[in-house]
Amino acid sequence: MAVKDEIRSGSESVSGGGGEAPADAGRPRRARRRGRWHTGIGALPFLVYVSLFLLVPAISVVATAFKNGNGQFTMANFDEAVHGVYLQSFIASIKLSFASALIAAVVGVLTALAVSATDNRIVRALVTAGSGVFANTGGVPLAFSFIATVGNFGVVTKLLASAGFDPYAHGFSLYSVLGLTIVYQYFLIPLMILIMIPPIQALRKEWIDASASLGASRFQFWRWVGIPLLTPPMLAAFIVLFTDAFAAYATAEALTSGTIPLVPIQLGSLISGNVLAGQTNLGDALGAGMIVVVMVAALLYAYVQRKASKWLR
Amino acid sequence: MATVTPDLGRAGGSGGEGSNVLRLGKPFRYTVLILVGAFFIIPILASARFSFLGNNNSYTLSAYTQLFGTPQFWSTLWLSVKVGVGTVALTLVLLIPTVIFVHVRLPRLRRLFESVSLLPLVIPSVVVTLGVITSFRNLPNIIYGTPVILALEYVVLALPYSYRTFDSAVQSIDLKTLVDAGQSLGAGWIKLLRFAILPNLRSGLLGASILTFAFCLGEFAVASLLSFTTFPVFLVQVGRLEASQAVALSLIALIFTWIPLALVMIVFSQRRGARRVAGVESAIEAAVAD
Repeated sequence: MAVKDEIRSGSESVSGGGGEAPADAGRPRRARRRGRWHTGIGALPFLVYVSLFLLVPAISVVATAFKNGNGQFTMANFDEAVHGVYLQSFIASIKLSFASALIAAVVGVLTALAVSATDNRIVRALVTAGSGVFANTGGVPLAFSFIATVGNFGVVTKLLASAGFDPYAHGFSLYSVLGLTIVYQYFLIPLMILIMIPPIQALRKEWIDASASLGASRFQFWRWVGIPLLTPPMLAAFIVLFTDAFAAYATAEALTSGTIPLVPIQLGSLISGNVLAGQTNLGDALGAGMIVVVMVAALLYAYVQRKASKWLR
Repeated sequence: MATVTPDLGRAGGSGGEGSNVLRLGKPFRYTVLILVGAFFIIPILASARFSFLGNNNSYTLSAYTQLFGTPQFWSTLWLSVKVGVGTVALTLVLLIPTVIFVHVRLPRLRRLFESVSLLPLVIPSVVVTLGVITSFRNLPNIIYGTPVILALEYVVLALPYSYRTFDSAVQSIDLKTLVDAGQSLGAGWIKLLRFAILPNLRSGLLGASILTFAFCLGEFAVASLLSFTTFPVFLVQVGRLEASQAVALSLIALIFTWIPLALVMIVFSQRRGARRVAGVESAIEAAVAD
């Protein structure tokens, strides 16, 4: 830290003497152009790398989706992808993601509100750090810890059964869409909390005081100030959660061994070699379909985000 | 995806700080926090109990001892660690020059580069895997047929976490001044990086590395679909046969992911107190928010 300050204070005097533009400089300065020898090599490798390992694969999926086994143009893959079992899997995936995101959004906002309103610093620190950790803990281990909890022989299942209510006798199953909806909450709720804490804390104290001094009731405050302000960031967050749930593969695969008809699972089993004759590029059409769904979500997100940023600055 | 601008929270300032300005009653707050907390803690406790439970409701460590005696446990863990270390190294080599270059030379394109780093969120990793198979099938076997391809892909897939963390760290220091000062003293770029820039970015580098490494240790989709038995893939294989071992393994995996992640979060909350415009923390907030 001391070294840093030294370098900083030292450098300030140097740049001050050099007659450089003031601190607001948002554009490249002419004086910089001197060291041209390394210009260009700086950013190019990154762009090339991302193109090669992300865009090339993605584009090849979309391109292959329009080809048949002999490399000729066809729409047959898409035709197959939007009918029968594959259509069902798109519907199931979208339903699952929508429901999971909706529940997580509601619970997450309530939690974020509760945390923001708490005086206790330790509780706040704990929830923020915990959310950061849990939001990143998806995947396989999560599936197994839920199997241990509410699986067929899970600890909570047994407890409930011994208390006279066996959830599996009442139609519940962890290895179903309902089960996945519950498991997904484990990483979606923390995500929602993390996204919503900044906009909630940005609800300006002046606005709250103003509404109070104007005699607004608690209900009126939320009806006319709180909810309208928090709606755009909530919508944006909902879309993020939806996308996250839609693309999730590991948890569903580990939990259901690929038996549940969701798009990522279907695509996974096509990749793993369960390809029937005449379906060579069907997987690519499913992949292209997934990209379309996420793209639509991303466009909606960008639109909502623009609205959201209007007030909360 | 998430352009959750990290500075939003700080802009409004005093929002929820200190007093209950949000007009939410204690009963509401505690009910919500306790219920949500229970949802997150119960599976962990249940897993612990499940993994220690023997045949006759007796407690035993056998799930753990059997696991540690399995050679595959160690070999798959080692593979994941190797892939993780490779990914982190490659990520740093790619990110350090890029982010610094963008900040010094192309500050106007900063948002653009950030959006590029978020692209992996728009393309599900299952789709990327399919694309890797169709487009790289004909590459030399040393790349496509070995876990090298995993590291190469993980660099990209972890970018939403690594790039933003490092980018905000760079944003939070006065890079231009450092560069000016160094250059006017006659330092070349290597010296500048080694002695002036990177030492100031230690926590940013650490945060990006930890997030990337944690990503690699947990990644399942790409590894399993490309038929590499990494640690999470092994975990699923165990789960098909031996539930209590799989739960024990999951618990270990979760705890070992939580420790480094919690470390990042603690670093971030300390810096919040220390400085208003802190880089890493807001980045983590943002990265995680993605």
